[in-house]
Amino acid sequence: MESKGSNEPSAVGVRQRRIVYFVLIGLFLLQSGLTYTVSTEVPVPAAELNSAARRGEALYRSFNCTACHQFYGLGGYMGPDLTNVTIAPGKGPDFTRGIILHGSANMPALGVTKDQADDLVAFLEAVAATGIYPIRNLDLTPWGTYREMHSDAR
Amino acid sequence: MRGEFTPAKGFIIAGLLALWCGALFGVIGSWQHVIPNVIDVVPFVKSRPLHVSLVIAWIFLTAVGGIYHYLPKIVSAPLHSTRLAWLHLVVFVGTGFAVIAAYFLGLFGGREYWEFPPVLGIPIALSWGFLLYNFFRTANKYKGPWPAYLWMWATGVVFFLITYLESNLYLFPHFTGNMVRELTVQWKAYGALTGSWNLLVYGTAMVVMERSTGNTAIARSRSAYLLFGLGFTNLLFGWAHHIYPVPSALWIRILAYAISMTEWVILARMIQQWRATVKEGKRGSSTVFGRFMFASEAWVFLNLGLALMISIPAINLFTHGTHITVAHAMGSTIGINTTILFASVFFIAGGHRSGSMRTVFWIFNVSLLAFWLCLIGAGMVKGYFTVMTDLPFQTIMEKARPFIVGFAVSGLGLFAGLSVLVWRAVKAIAFVQREEGAQSGEEPAMAKAEVLH
Repeated sequence: MESKGSNEPSAVGVRQRRIVYFVLIGLFLLQSGLTYTVSTEVPVPAAELNSAARRGEALYRSFNCTACHQFYGLGGYMGPDLTNVTIAPGKGPDFTRGIILHGSANMPALGVTKDQADDLVAFLEAVAATGIYPIRNLDLTPWGTYREMHSDAR
Repeated sequence: MRGEFTPAKGFIIAGLLALWCGALFGVIGSWQHVIPNVIDVVPFVKSRPLHVSLVIAWIFLTAVGGIYHYLPKIVSAPLHSTRLAWLHLVVFVGTGFAVIAAYFLGLFGGREYWEFPPVLGIPIALSWGFLLYNFFRTANKYKGPWPAYLWMWATGVVFFLITYLESNLYLFPHFTGNMVRELTVQWKAYGALTGSWNLLVYGTAMVVMERSTGNTAIARSRSAYLLFGLGFTNLLFGWAHHIYPVPSALWIRILAYAISMTEWVILARMIQQWRATVKEGKRGSSTVFGRFMFASEAWVFLNLGLALMISIPAINLFTHGTHITVAHAMGSTIGINTTILFASVFFIAGGHRSGSMRTVFWIFNVSLLAFWLCLIGAGMVKGYFTVMTDLPFQTIMEKARPFIVGFAVSGLGLFAGLSVLVWRAVKAIAFVQREEGAQSGEEPAMAKAEVLH
């Protein structure tokens, strides 16, 4: 592939690299197509966002809640992960609605209406229906990955 | 060059100012973790995106400034259009001000990483189009096969645009109606976007090495192309180690795991070259850029080791969603990208004896090391108690508090070091007389520089 006795790449080497480059881009497009269709379908209808949940999602974004909170461990570090806040023992939808409306020691009240708080709760309930986080299923293979990572997901 | 204000200078000075402002908001944000509401004027929902966007702007602006500076010298021809480069700067910086204004007005994009109201993404994409056109029209004048750094830059420039557009897919209902897909879009696109700017920065590092030593073989060697190929493959397919816990299809995680593990090859190669690197580092320590290049090697070593560990699912289970992820991000953006970009800036500005900057160099690096270790400590505490116990979030964070305080205190040292570096770099770039490694009264090359200690 390289010129004999030199570090300078030959024209053939460059052409081969370009082929590799385009093959990788082709694979990237294939992977993207699969990722954004069948590979990210949610397992249950409750996890699909209905109109209230979509409004709630828009509010979640406009208040930049992700600056402090996480879903599946992705987001900010100031507040707790909210993936299962509406189904967690001792919490639930009413608890969540109360925090949204009135705030807590570390979180300001968002200043939203009751209807908007309901939309946010609907969104969080849809997120909770997608699965469980944190994962505590430690069924590992010898090479370090999970046998069935989401066996405890709903 | 005094008096001649080029687009490259404009980009670099804008980048340095963005870094200083981004670091300031980072300090504010870190202390808000220690004392909530410590600064009410800029609450955390604003300080966080201000910090993130400004630091990302530093990386883009300075890497692009370096490309505008080096590219004409590499191809031995002028930039295709200086006017277009100016337009790029004006649109990019102008949009940056609009993004900052949006945050202060409480207008957010609401996504985790590089977020702002999506309409402001249009001028950013447009300005990147100017770079893309200018880059290829200029780079295509290069005679002969491209060295690895031109491939890195070309790939970084193209894939920034692709992945940036991809990151906006959430504007379509197909992606927002499903949180699993929405989270996947964010991390797939932003993971690759980060890979894109890493290629711009690593290409810059290779150029600085080549131009400071005069050794053109480095960027044309088989290992340079191998490392580029591995980096590119990781950019395309390695992003999913960030989202192992998201319940998407299993193959996404297995592929990401396999691809991420190829980085052991890079690590092994680095260990193999370590002795030579140390030797080169000592040789180059007489200049500021030489010191920063050496520091960047050390940070690559540390951060790649951390990245490899947290890419192993069994370990990731404990580190995911903790401050260890932040340590990885800070190690990459500050430890690797920022040190390489400072090396490039001081190289462009004409060297500088390292003696006058030795203290600030060490304040910067020691503070960063303490900062990085405190984040890892906080992450270990949070990860262990989150996975192994049912303790509430606030209780876990109380246990991690000593590390959080340490992170905020070391952040002050880091900010102090960065402030001096930014000041010195702005002065050096604004008043540069002889570019590229030139010492007063000496020829540039780092290889020829006198070793002071």
